[in-house]
Amino acid sequence: MPTAQLLVNALALGAAYALVALGFVLVLNAAGAVNFAHGDMVMLGGVAAVVLVGMLAMSGLRLPGVALLPLVVVASGLVGLLVAALGFWPLRDRPPAAMFVATIALAAVFEQSATAFFGPEPRAAPAVWDGAPLLVGGVALGRQPVALIIVAGLAVAGVYALLEKTQVGRRFRAVAQDRDMARALGIRATRLIVGAFALAGGLAGLAGALLGHQFFVHAGQGPGYMLKAYIAAAIGGWGSVPGALLGALLIALFETLVSAALSAVWAQALLYLALLAILLWRPQGLFGEAIGRRA
Amino acid sequence: MNSAPAREAPFSQGSAPVLVVAIAALVGLAVFGDSYAVRLATLAGTQALLVLGYQLVFGHAGALSLAQGALFGLGAYVAALLSLHAPWGAALALPAAALAAMLVAALVGAVVLRLETHYFALATLAVAQLIHLAAVNLETLTGGANGLPGVPPASLAGIAIGRGWPMLLLAWGLFAVAGWIVARVMAGLSGLALDLSREHPAAAQSVGIDVAALRFTAFVGGAGLAGLAGALHAHVVGVVSPDVADMPVMVGCLIATVVGGRRAVVGAALGAILLTHAPEWFRFLENRHLIAFGLLALAMVVVAPDGLADLLAALRRRLWPPRSEASPVSVLAPPVLVRTARKSAGLRIEHVGKAFGGVRALDDVSFVLAPGEAMGMIGPNGSGQTTLLNVITGILPADEGRLYLGSESLRGRPAFAIARQGLARTFQQAELSAATSALEAVATASFARVPRPFRDTARAEARHWLTRVGAGDDSARPCGALPAGRRRLVEVARALMARPRFLILDEPGAGLSRPERAELARRLRAVRADGTALLVVDHDIDFLAACVDRLICLDRGRIVADGPVDAVRRDPGVRQAYFGSDGETAGP
Repeated sequence: MPTAQLLVNALALGAAYALVALGFVLVLNAAGAVNFAHGDMVMLGGVAAVVLVGMLAMSGLRLPGVALLPLVVVASGLVGLLVAALGFWPLRDRPPAAMFVATIALAAVFEQSATAFFGPEPRAAPAVWDGAPLLVGGVALGRQPVALIIVAGLAVAGVYALLEKTQVGRRFRAVAQDRDMARALGIRATRLIVGAFALAGGLAGLAGALLGHQFFVHAGQGPGYMLKAYIAAAIGGWGSVPGALLGALLIALFETLVSAALSAVWAQALLYLALLAILLWRPQGLFGEAIGRRA
Repeated sequence: MNSAPAREAPFSQGSAPVLVVAIAALVGLAVFGDSYAVRLATLAGTQALLVLGYQLVFGHAGALSLAQGALFGLGAYVAALLSLHAPWGAALALPAAALAAMLVAALVGAVVLRLETHYFALATLAVAQLIHLAAVNLETLTGGANGLPGVPPASLAGIAIGRGWPMLLLAWGLFAVAGWIVARVMAGLSGLALDLSREHPAAAQSVGIDVAALRFTAFVGGAGLAGLAGALHAHVVGVVSPDVADMPVMVGCLIATVVGGRRAVVGAALGAILLTHAPEWFRFLENRHLIAFGLLALAMVVVAPDGLADLLAALRRRLWPPRSEASPVSVLAPPVLVRTARKSAGLRIEHVGKAFGGVRALDDVSFVLAPGEAMGMIGPNGSGQTTLLNVITGILPADEGRLYLGSESLRGRPAFAIARQGLARTFQQAELSAATSALEAVATASFARVPRPFRDTARAEARHWLTRVGAGDDSARPCGALPAGRRRLVEVARALMARPRFLILDEPGAGLSRPERAELARRLRAVRADGTALLVVDHDIDFLAACVDRLICLDRGRIVADGPVDAVRRDPGVRQAYFGSDGETAGP
């Protein structure tokens, strides 16, 4: 495969992983715990895209892939709320490990529900941008990867602006830093945390719909995506948003290049080995300064 | 020992009903069960072993490992390969599988166990993924995705254990033996030490418990049970495929542990039976039984975090209220405290410094605490007293300076090793496990003693120390139910139980009333009269004057005064530290 196409593919994959990792870190910061069901929210986004296309086709509507995305985001935002309601809200005053365990159970429920109602076979999500490859300076680039980069890039930029530039974002960061202190200042922390779950669900669902065209959608893929986000957060410095985004890009680049050079199996194995090495030699992450004693 | 001979370990105390139910289940199975039911019950036995192992790791040691399922798979592959390829291998399959899993766990645990919860979970997940990848892709060895068919039945000492009843009895027999051992160990001081290490690791280290070693032992032991369970599974099913090392095994194990109970042996059996029989019992839900089981687990996490075993125990207590436990022991005559009479080994602090970022918490701190001396430490809030205690006891590393106990350097040594040198301490926020009784909390501190006393002996001595600090009436109450001042007293008793030569107390009088403080001061004097040196941080100078002879005053990380109590009280530098100027107000 030509290098340019390879790099665009890596970037597209990285952009989608960045969406997954962004939601993961938002919840991590807000709730102070790992959401193990995060990967299954990605999977459910893909399922939503496939199901929506089917339903619209049955009623005679044929929308372009892009038009579906807002619907997918809303549907997966609701999934995020569900996770908050079942996996976070009842356990909000318990140690973080409780939420970790609860979301593992929730992930199993999501996976089994998808198997039962959607079927175990992989299915392709609709393309966001159909058509022949684009020719840019004599290089042929698939439209789907390009569309993926644009959509995911816009979404990440939007969330970043929300966090950095708005009052809500400032409040959210205050809650992430010290929940009790933020409460003492009159910030409605729980409301913001639940909002973070909804936002994370929306981002994850968007990623699932975007990835589902090339990599298909199937019920068992959740843990794989969750692991990518988890690794991105760990190597990017626990809780750091830019670190996680960069981590996601690095993972995608690593996977694409090692897969091309060796094989997909080696890409996976080496990724896990690299992760273990990083956790041992630099537990504060590649970009982090220091890790807090967050459970 | 003058205690009653009937030990009240939970297993022997209440195991009769469990045995009755187990025998009834076996009889029921023999009368009504077909071969499928027997097979299912056998698989439940293997799962019970897996869950019992995970209880050690997750329930007792508090390590959220996600590799237990992969270690189960590893055991299954080792057993299958040995029985298939080596004629002599079948007899060794079970122990070899357990050993292989323990070996891998020891390698992983040695490097990964020190990571914090979320990193530890991720690292073990990565290891699990690597094991699964190997199972799928090392095709010449593992048969790849097709797996290894034709695994023969298990064999013990050359006798083949047929599938069906022999295998069922082997699986559940192994579980009964392992469960009995685990219950016995956990009913002793080891169980208490694990509880404290899990919930308050710093406090565990402060009484000499090597938390890392305990966690490592639990992790490796749990892995051994996982490997054994995997091997049994391979023999029961006859085929090993990569599924045995995949994520669903881990998730099932975790859910069974949460549903059954994290620590009770009975819970492991209950969770495993539910997990394996859920497809049967929820058959009316068709392929949705796993959804139901996941939701059940979720509900258990929220409503009953200690699982079914705990619910059943509570129900049993309600139906058959236990006879009020006779007070375990009368107060013993004070045990003879043989002090390791190391000649004049004082505690020397030389030029110690410590900074947090740009803040110098300790700056060139030096003093000597002689054996048997009693010294107080005062200073405005935030002057570094607690930091100094943390540096002395090894909880925080010093940035610079030297610390000696006699001729031995303490710097760079782990906290538990320093505690074993004879330094015991209490904490500003009393660090006690809420569910543990005051008596047990104090008894825990004898875990690191050589030789380790029996639990009853430890309890008798614990009662003695509780009485000596004036908290004898609280000994049966759980620490979580005690008021803050009482908890501090329990901590003092726990520190004394470690038989320290230097007792370091961080605001022991906070939360006590004035008369109670006077009483505590008197009791501390008595402790000192026994030859234990005291280092007491407090703000109440009258309290300090009543139990120590010498004071040092710390201000912004520096020692500004050091001398007899009255001299320091009048010291202008001390007044300066408290009031900002040499005012005319009364002393601090």
